Amino acid sequence: MTATISHTRLRVLFAFFTVASLLLSARLAYWQTVGRGDLLSRATDQVHSDLAVAAQRGIIRDRTGAILATTVELRSLYAIPAQMKDSEGHDTRFAVAAALAPILGERPEVLRAAFDSGAEWLFVRRRLPEETAARIAALGLSGVGFEMEPKRLYPNGAVGAQVLGFVSDDGLGQYGVEGSYDDALAGTPGRLAVSRDPANRELALGLRAAVPAKNGDDLWLTVDLAVQNAAERELAAVVEREKAAGGAIVVLDPKDGAVLAMASSPTYDPARVGSANTEALRNRAISWTYEPGSTLKAVTIAAALDKGVVTPSTSYQDVGYAVIGGRTLCNAQCKVYGPTTVTQVLTRSQNAGAVFVASKLGAADLNAYLHAFGFGARTGVDLAAETAGIVRPLAEWYPVDLGTISFGQGLSVTPLQLASAYAAIANGGILYRPYVVASRRDADGEHRTAPVAVRRVISEETAATMVTMLTTTVDNGIANAAALKGYSVAGKTGTAQIPSDDGRYVDDAYISSFAGFVPAIDPRMVIVVVLEKPQSKLLGTVPAMNTFKAIATDALRYARIQPDRP
Amino acid sequence: MTFAQAVRAPQARRMPHRPNRQAIAHRRPASRQATRLRAASWEIRSFLLASGVIVACFLLVLLYLAQATAVSAAGYEAQRLLAQRDELRRQNALLVIESARLDSPARVETEAQRLGLVRAATIRVVASEAVAAAR
Repeated sequence: MTATISHTRLRVLFAFFTVASLLLSARLAYWQTVGRGDLLSRATDQVHSDLAVAAQRGIIRDRTGAILATTVELRSLYAIPAQMKDSEGHDTRFAVAAALAPILGERPEVLRAAFDSGAEWLFVRRRLPEETAARIAALGLSGVGFEMEPKRLYPNGAVGAQVLGFVSDDGLGQYGVEGSYDDALAGTPGRLAVSRDPANRELALGLRAAVPAKNGDDLWLTVDLAVQNAAERELAAVVEREKAAGGAIVVLDPKDGAVLAMASSPTYDPARVGSANTEALRNRAISWTYEPGSTLKAVTIAAALDKGVVTPSTSYQDVGYAVIGGRTLCNAQCKVYGPTTVTQVLTRSQNAGAVFVASKLGAADLNAYLHAFGFGARTGVDLAAETAGIVRPLAEWYPVDLGTISFGQGLSVTPLQLASAYAAIANGGILYRPYVVASRRDADGEHRTAPVAVRRVISEETAATMVTMLTTTVDNGIANAAALKGYSVAGKTGTAQIPSDDGRYVDDAYISSFAGFVPAIDPRMVIVVVLEKPQSKLLGTVPAMNTFKAIATDALRYARIQPDRP
Repeated sequence: MTFAQAVRAPQARRMPHRPNRQAIAHRRPASRQATRLRAASWEIRSFLLASGVIVACFLLVLLYLAQATAVSAAGYEAQRLLAQRDELRRQNALLVIESARLDSPARVETEAQRLGLVRAATIRVVASEAVAAAR
């Protein structure tokens, strides 16, 4: 009997273990086959991390190699309010807020409100200066920590702000070089898949698959920091002295169209873009148009000379005004000059004389030359947000337009367009496409920008004649205030009325400008200065010329250009 | 001496090549003893062989673990050095930026004004051709 019971027990036990073994085997087989993928992914998720590796944004340098913009990792302060506790478990939010407030220049209540907002994790302040981050780290506060974030830095402050543009918080280039070359500067992010231990350290024996990030290209600009600084300093000074609404300066190398400096007022500090107004963000040298006034007479006369319809000595009888299309167009203050040559039209800046020259040329040719000089179309400069200006189609010209456009009213240009046109006169008649990026450097080496000669606008003879006439304008004419000791200067002043929204002109407000190049023989730089609504009004060209002189003096001295006059 | 030779050595000592008279006189009991001895030596050999295999396996595992630990530790060290390198690079970048800020013409001008320096009114330029001709 006992043996029978024992045998039964053994059978039951055997059956139990058999079933248990079968169940376990089945479960094991399930996890090894059907559930394997799920199990594997859950295990992988625990130890593997797959991260995007940010590419380093390229450095922007001036033509001498000085850093204009670069990126560095800065510490951002974050907080986890739930972890703000001392060793005894007491809440330390108030103490943390009180400790951080004076360092961050913030009120403790504001920080405390942020900690009490209910957020589990929040940024307290992003991209802190290194000293500030170090001071906070030294406090050893609980519940706060640092995370590295890239920050675009501009070591020269506001100098070159409009040329450079800026980078938004999400890493996108905006305006200027940062905007137009964003793809090249940004680079390509990589990926890093690694196994990590519970302390988030990479395991040497684990999975490691990396696609390296491709850093952004470095850009070397044509801009010269010293000239740029001089241009911005002088522009800020003259805008303040003249209580002008704004202004712009362009400095070009006439030999190839390289932009040496480009200043715009009002301006902004790239480090504080958030507080800048929209107008300050606009680069007036390329994104703002104005009626050029008498600076355009040089273009009208160059066209007429090139076409052969006048010579410098061609004369007419000036009566103080000209009648065209049934409208009377006067000289400045309706002054009567009597017998006048074409050279004198330029040196005295006579409106009636410009109308005389334009009448000889004809509307079709004037329109064609304006387009040839690059007006009415974007110059193609490699900067974001360039505007084209307005030269109306010939079919839309009224008879009077031939007269007004001859002395720079009735069309609009950008300061850069005017500088390019003067560069064409200065270099012997070839219009170059202005450019800002001299070279791009990546892992493959340096890629230089080749200057682009757009077209020949006027003949070399015409250009030489124009240089002589413009030099006379400075030496003995209306632009005498732009004369520089030791250097020959060629240039022309401009005073233009400002069109209003109702199609008429604004009363008693002008745009004053000066466009010139130096030395007149073998020119090294074209400088255009434009002031919007200077308080000197009709005499606003004088501060414009003084600004030209100041920049030219600095730039010539800096570039060690030998004087060409005793 | 090899491991097999070491295992055979005791048997060699217990089995002399020239048997004495007593051994010849008591032939059968001596044969049983020899059989027992042979069985015993086989057990010892097996034990030693198994022990040797186990010890070898243990040593191999230890070696592997030591290697794995060393690689892992080296990995942590490499990671620490990489982090240190990155931090040094960051500090270097900050210093380069500070240097650029100090070199900025705008800052130099401001500093010059603060020190009471004034811009030179005139700069004398000497033509190189004239100097060369004079020599």
